[in-house]
Amino acid sequence: MLVSIYRYNPDVDSVPYMQDIQVEIPAGKDLMVLDVLGLVKEQDATLAYRRSCREGVCGSDGLNMNGTNGLACITPLSAVVTNDKLVLRPLPGLPVVRDLVVDMAQFYKQYEKIKPYLQNDTPPPAIERLQSPADREKLDGLYECILCACCSTACPSFWWNPDKFVGPSGLLQAYRFLVDSRDTYTEERLSDLDDPFSVFRCRGIMNCVSVCPKGLNPTRAIGHIRNMLLSSGT
Amino acid sequence: MNSKRPVNLDFRTIKLPLPAYTSIIHRISGVILFVAIAFLLYGLDLSLESESGFNSLKQLMQGFFAKLIVWGIVSALLYHLVAGIKHLLMDIGIGEEKESGILGAKITIVVSAILIIIAGIVIW
Repeated sequence: MLVSIYRYNPDVDSVPYMQDIQVEIPAGKDLMVLDVLGLVKEQDATLAYRRSCREGVCGSDGLNMNGTNGLACITPLSAVVTNDKLVLRPLPGLPVVRDLVVDMAQFYKQYEKIKPYLQNDTPPPAIERLQSPADREKLDGLYECILCACCSTACPSFWWNPDKFVGPSGLLQAYRFLVDSRDTYTEERLSDLDDPFSVFRCRGIMNCVSVCPKGLNPTRAIGHIRNMLLSSGT
Repeated sequence: MNSKRPVNLDFRTIKLPLPAYTSIIHRISGVILFVAIAFLLYGLDLSLESESGFNSLKQLMQGFFAKLIVWGIVSALLYHLVAGIKHLLMDIGIGEEKESGILGAKITIVVSAILIIIAGIVIW
């Protein structure tokens, strides 16, 4: 199989280029894209990419595979390869540090902005803050986000305004804390988001929903935030 | 060392799902309408100015190219309207899932295509 990989080494290259490498795929096996990267690295040890858990939990190996973002470790070749060719590029829109490794600073900054931790100004109870099963259920589909950045780097609104638009991933997390019954800073959180860019740059394109490797739905979470902003009238 | 980092944002390499294309066309049709309004207002002004102005505009509108342009503007309006209604439905939580989003995009294209064909028949 022909693998075409985005290569860029800041010490040597002035511009990135595509490197074509022929890789022997063991017959009868549907390898994951991450396995193919391993085979490429055996041929060319200078290739750089991020990986850790290799099972879709850590969120390190987000890549653009044949034009679609996803996690290399849980994407089988059968799901992306067409015409026996695999094109691997770094996540779109973020600065490239080297080869397939991108600088995630901009993405994390947006995550930091939404204050991704419980805020509660009531006195802490002796043991722990309790939550009813019904309230706990509201966090399903939100807490599972692993911050792999596949969604935000598939979002045109985030490409054009990575500094002002929080992005699908950050907004999914924002809603996770807005809807948490143990968090008492709902009003403050909403007023932090109440400007023309943070939430409202979302145009409902839904690229985020189509690429999320965990099957989550940032578009719906953003809709909920918009409704909360409307009804709170902050 | 090269301190300016490159960014991978080559649109020829990025595969977009159908809802992304309907969103792009929505934006483009909006821009077309914005520009077209200037010409339509000029036409309206001309028609209201005098009887001869009205007649010359009427004469102008009989031409094939004039009809084609009007059809183009009406097409942009119809597509923008249908895609806008889809957005309103999304605002009340309909069509926000992966599958329903793709279905919504397909419906947007089919419905607006039908309306555009009907508009073409009405204009000619």
